[in-house]
Amino acid sequence: MIKIVDLHKKFGHLHVLKGINLEVNKGEVLVVIGPSGSGKSTLLRCVNLLEEPTSGKIFLEDLEITGKKINKNFVRQRVGMVFQSFNLFPHMTALGNVELAPKKVLKMSSREAERIATELLNRVGLKDKIDVYPNQLSGGQKQRVAIARALAMNPAAMLFDEVTSALDPELVKEVLDVMKDLVKIGMTMLVVTHEMGFAREVGSHVIFMDEGVIVEDGFAAEIFDNPKHLRTKAFLDAVLH
Amino acid sequence: MQGLIDLVDKYFSISVIREVLPFLLKGALLTIIFSAASEFFGIILGLVSSIVRVTRTKVLSQLMIVYVDLFRGTPLLMQIIFVYYALPYLGINLPAPVAGIVALSLNSGAYVSEIFRAGIESIEKGQMEAARSLGMSYAQAMRYIIIPQTVKRVLPPLTNEFVALIKDSSLLSVIAISELLRTAREMMTWKLNPSSLTAAALIYLIITLPLTRLVNRMEGKLKRGES
Repeated sequence: MIKIVDLHKKFGHLHVLKGINLEVNKGEVLVVIGPSGSGKSTLLRCVNLLEEPTSGKIFLEDLEITGKKINKNFVRQRVGMVFQSFNLFPHMTALGNVELAPKKVLKMSSREAERIATELLNRVGLKDKIDVYPNQLSGGQKQRVAIARALAMNPAAMLFDEVTSALDPELVKEVLDVMKDLVKIGMTMLVVTHEMGFAREVGSHVIFMDEGVIVEDGFAAEIFDNPKHLRTKAFLDAVLH
Repeated sequence: MQGLIDLVDKYFSISVIREVLPFLLKGALLTIIFSAASEFFGIILGLVSSIVRVTRTKVLSQLMIVYVDLFRGTPLLMQIIFVYYALPYLGINLPAPVAGIVALSLNSGAYVSEIFRAGIESIEKGQMEAARSLGMSYAQAMRYIIIPQTVKRVLPPLTNEFVALIKDSSLLSVIAISELLRTAREMMTWKLNPSSLTAAALIYLIITLPLTRLVNRMEGKLKRGES
């Protein structure tokens, strides 16, 4: 589904990604962990072309999206993204946020878009918040709207960029629960997170990144119970204890 | 004591004001028409030029920067004189009212451009990213996400700009447009009494005060984060 080959990204002299290779198969959940500044977010942002890779190739459903002639808007329709800072549109209700892109990008009829948006908001447990503006939602509710908004485009894969990091601790679970539901229905997901419990529970694979390289990858249980590299071990010790 | 009586007699003569009021109101109407028309065109000019600038369209964007610098950096009085008296040499003969609106609009557009640019740039980067991540084009993101939020934020500075424009429109008197201030000065010469100026000042206040109050209310609302 997603395949990345020798991906490099530089910001000026800063070499953020130094040759990333990875593959996420359909229905898999790849969890990326690592210290801040290790390039996790940049990696994610390259997959929907919010950042332009400096070199290397990225494939989405066998289509090379790093090619010159690629239609970025089309790629982004196929990959949903949820941000740490929600980025809900404050001038629209929850429903407005979710139905906008289907209407304007997919040219869906208002009725159809509203039906889909309502159904998705229902699925993330926000049936009674449909007509509420973002400033009256809690962080957890905002993030669930953001997930519904991304799902409304019916993407082939979803990217989650530290989506619980800005939440009060008691609100983290409601967002993770929504993500677990997505795992159950077989959504292909690339997840950057600091929630180790969640990573362990739902991750098909886990990647540990540090300083722009993949230090270690493997099944969740292997990485968490038996880290092979010192850096991985040091990181896990630091975050788990 | 005599000084006070003279002051009232010269500047606050009710009988003079009563006589000149109909003329002043006509002048006030012109002031409102010229300001409103110029603000309207100014907003269009400002919006277009600010969008051109934030999208960094190569040559055009440089051109807009020159435009904004030029009209913000020189006196409006000079701009009015140029449009009315200098353009005819280039074969552009504008009647005074048109020249007036053109000069005021160009001037206002430069300020509005700055207001919109600051407004657009004040919208969090994540808004554009969220919109683009949903597959929207840049134009769609601007139209549905960025501009609507910008408009709300720039309403207070835009209204302030309108208030400034209402006062600045008095400069149109140099090209013989009988707006409020020019009318008041004509009445002063006619009546040999400057009470008409006092009356004109009051009329300016009656026009501008509701607007400045409105700005205060909008700013309060924005601060409280209401939509």
